[in-house]
Amino acid sequence: MATAHHECEWALCVDSASAKLAEVRRFVEKVAAEVALDLERAFDLKVAVSEACANAVEHAGCESAPLEISARLHSRRLTFVVTDNGLFRPPGCGRVGFGSRGLGLPLMVTLMDEVTFARTPNGGTSVSLSVLLDREATPLLD
Amino acid sequence: MIARLASLGGAPLLIANGEIDHESCGAVEKLFEEAVLQGSPILFLDLSEVTYIDSGGLSVLFSAGRRVRDAGWIGLVAPNDSVRRLLELVGALADPAFRLFADRTEAERALTEGDTA
Repeated sequence: MATAHHECEWALCVDSASAKLAEVRRFVEKVAAEVALDLERAFDLKVAVSEACANAVEHAGCESAPLEISARLHSRRLTFVVTDNGLFRPPGCGRVGFGSRGLGLPLMVTLMDEVTFARTPNGGTSVSLSVLLDREATPLLD
Repeated sequence: MIARLASLGGAPLLIANGEIDHESCGAVEKLFEEAVLQGSPILFLDLSEVTYIDSGGLSVLFSAGRRVRDAGWIGLVAPNDSVRRLLELVGALADPAFRLFADRTEAERALTEGDTA
């Protein structure tokens, strides 16, 4: 089945004020299944994409802002891009549980084969998270 | 995510079910709070039914670990391979505040050994 997907694209758009991270993870699972990604790498992607979205949700504070998650399979590389509109709002009325994520960024970097951060032309922030389909997940230390 | 508080060999046992993420980790944090107040130096967290954990959930674990580390530890029971891998990547398994157990029987045995160092 995976061989049928030489190049593919998927997209999900949610709202930062009401987005459920679980919904984002179901999207990642769907894409991972379509490209026949192994379960461990799919788990890594779920964590990384979910953390990137949690960042964007936190930065938007209580503002309602669109959050776009796209995925692209190209040259045996699966890349998720999380794009927000670049809003930074004080966390005062932010959503519960989004206050202590010091581990989010190191997890993204550790679990992915490549992570890039960029400004979009209209001032947003985009986080690009890639796995190479032919490389195995970060091995356990033992 | 569903979480509840039970006990194992007289020590508090948190049982979580489903995905522990930024949106659901607050429930686990509250249970840890309750468990710590029971005064036991040892706490258990059964992860066997936990399918996902993110930095929010891991932060809750580390903060609970800090509460007990001087006198005890938190026993992490039966995480699946993916969750175990994350625990290892963030250093929880190398931290003396945490101990890993394959199942509840093994966890309970550690209690009766009287080894709380």
